[in-house]
Amino acid sequence: MAIVGAFCVTLHNDRCINSRMPGKCATCVEVCPYEVYAIDEGEVVVQNFNACVGCRICVEFCPYNAIRINPAEPEHLSRYLWTFAQVEEIHYKSLTGQYLLRGLGTMGPLPHFDNIVVVPSQLASPPPKDKYREECKMEVVIGEKRAKNPIRLRLPIIFPAMSFGALSREAKLALAICAARTGIATNTGEGGVVEEEPYYSKGFLDKEMTRRKWSPGGYLIVQWSTGRWGVSADYVNAGDGVEIKIGQGAKPGMGGHLLGAKVTEEIAKVRGIPVGSDALSPCRYYDALTFEDVKKQVEFLRDVTNYEKPIWMKLGPSRPYEDVRMAALAGVDAISIDGMAGGTGASPDVVTQGVGIPTIACIPPAVRALNDLGLHRKVKLFALGGIRGGLDAFKALALGADGVGFGTAAEIAMGCRACMACHKGGCPYGITSQDPKLRARLDPEAAAERLTNFIHATAEEIKMLAMLSGHDDIKELSEEDLRALDINTAAITGLKLVGYERRLPLWEQHES
Amino acid sequence: MSRVLNARGQDLRTVSRELKRFIEEESAVTIKNASHLHGLCAGLKGGEITIEGDTGDYLGVLNDGSTIKVRGNAGKYVADNLTRGVVLVEGDADYGAAQYCYGGTVFIRGNAGDFTATMNKGATIVIGQDVGDEVATYMLGGDLIIVGNAGLNLGNYLIRGNIYIGGQWASLGHNCKQEGLTPEDITKLEGYFAQYEIAIEPKQFKKITPQSAKPFYK
Repeated sequence: MAIVGAFCVTLHNDRCINSRMPGKCATCVEVCPYEVYAIDEGEVVVQNFNACVGCRICVEFCPYNAIRINPAEPEHLSRYLWTFAQVEEIHYKSLTGQYLLRGLGTMGPLPHFDNIVVVPSQLASPPPKDKYREECKMEVVIGEKRAKNPIRLRLPIIFPAMSFGALSREAKLALAICAARTGIATNTGEGGVVEEEPYYSKGFLDKEMTRRKWSPGGYLIVQWSTGRWGVSADYVNAGDGVEIKIGQGAKPGMGGHLLGAKVTEEIAKVRGIPVGSDALSPCRYYDALTFEDVKKQVEFLRDVTNYEKPIWMKLGPSRPYEDVRMAALAGVDAISIDGMAGGTGASPDVVTQGVGIPTIACIPPAVRALNDLGLHRKVKLFALGGIRGGLDAFKALALGADGVGFGTAAEIAMGCRACMACHKGGCPYGITSQDPKLRARLDPEAAAERLTNFIHATAEEIKMLAMLSGHDDIKELSEEDLRALDINTAAITGLKLVGYERRLPLWEQHES
Repeated sequence: MSRVLNARGQDLRTVSRELKRFIEEESAVTIKNASHLHGLCAGLKGGEITIEGDTGDYLGVLNDGSTIKVRGNAGKYVADNLTRGVVLVEGDADYGAAQYCYGGTVFIRGNAGDFTATMNKGATIVIGQDVGDEVATYMLGGDLIIVGNAGLNLGNYLIRGNIYIGGQWASLGHNCKQEGLTPEDITKLEGYFAQYEIAIEPKQFKKITPQSAKPFYK
């Protein structure tokens, strides 16, 4: 392990008072015990950066904030376990007594779609389809067996639940407009419904739905969750389907967090809480003690919606086989399973980083559970969690999902730069902020234009990959269209390993 | 006009369809033999319904304007997520009565179980006898009146609203404090007691309110 030369020491002369007034200050020279700094003809210079050990005492004491110490190599090589970020986290806890909270999702290496490749068609398989001159069926229908009004998504894509509160009104409206323009579904999340969402998502400018602006029209899913914020019979009927939230990828086992900084008067009114008070959704339903209770919830939600709307269930990444099996047995029409790379507006860092199952490890067991019940492709399966574009989406579909959700990617498509500070309420792009000045920076129609472009490009990617694999219907995609690049991924997913061209023996034994 | 609906052997969908049809006819409806049905009277916006005998779970969930009377005991989660209207139970209510309510009134003449009035956000909930543990957990508004005693952790993380209790509690939850009754409180309680024919003196009640509206993250 390199100790010598492990750090870059940068002295910003424009800030250093000594460079302008020699002799005025030599604090860094005095405090550094390793003689990194010296006085040379009255000026402070870095005389031996190789001696720097990264203690940053110079940074701590510099009165003009003129020094930067950076690792010379990636920290996971040179300082792992004790990266600067880890050191600072411990300092934060020791100073405040509080754990870290943050937004966005899991950061760092996880088994993900990157270690899977798509297998194109050549001689040994049906020939490829022509992406430029032939069609590919992309429609996904939800609830055709049980609901009077099934949802017919034009693309195998949804915007998963992101609440009004976690997102600004403008961001929520942008998602609704994009859903209308692309024929997909958006989701209220658990923070109640924004007044315009139901008719914007259909493509109309007015509640009476007489003035159409956006075509072909999309769908709105309303979420039934543990905090029950803004929920009423009207709310349940405001959408085209109802999603029962059991968990989410970024913080399975915990309820939603909306920190007080984002609970404005408007949010407080919708949610029924005092302004500035944290809205902490319970981790479980107070009104569902058992699985039988969950089934009863599915039943009465069908009744309240007059048996017209599909019922959906969203699961966090826990025990995908058993959870998906139970969700299907509860009688829902669709199931979303959110892998641990899923996003959040606010979550304890330790939960986001360390709790759950990676998305690629959720899909195969979920598909097996539905297959074992004879319900695969009947109860629709949506994969969520860190899906970034058409390539990830295609892989999820080929693993057996019927559709995918873009949450974080949708925020980024609107302009987000993934700074992970969503929980603070100061989003400079107006996406996750409730501050009127910041919200004014996000024009819903302009953001919807970006979102629509992203969805169109992504759909084209899915179509291209499906067709070069020899398919003209996404329902035909299968594991045979994929290969794992390494043993780990092959073991997790059950895919054939590249080169070996078979599934790993442990999978063959498991299936026999 | 009054109609009688015999639910014996019927499923929720059938009974619900008939019930809604009767309500549209502006009939008062009496439902008999409905204890096997869960989620009965869900999401109704009007009408007067009387349930003869005991009920299943989730009676009157999402009620938004109807008056529901139970001449028996109610199952779990009665009046769940009430937004408007009235739910009256002559007997006892099982676990989790009147949770997640935004408005309306719930009166349970007998006892109510654990986690009653959890996350109440604005309803008036009157319990004629005792309640179980963890009652009014994370209550965010409204009034809860308990004529008898309460179990452990009453009002845990109370954020807004008032709890009035005539008896004793086994323990109070976090973020609660006891206050004296104001003349307005006494007038309010007298009104409820007269309405629900409860013979008790309001002055002996204790009032519990939140210590802070922001008890979580600093």
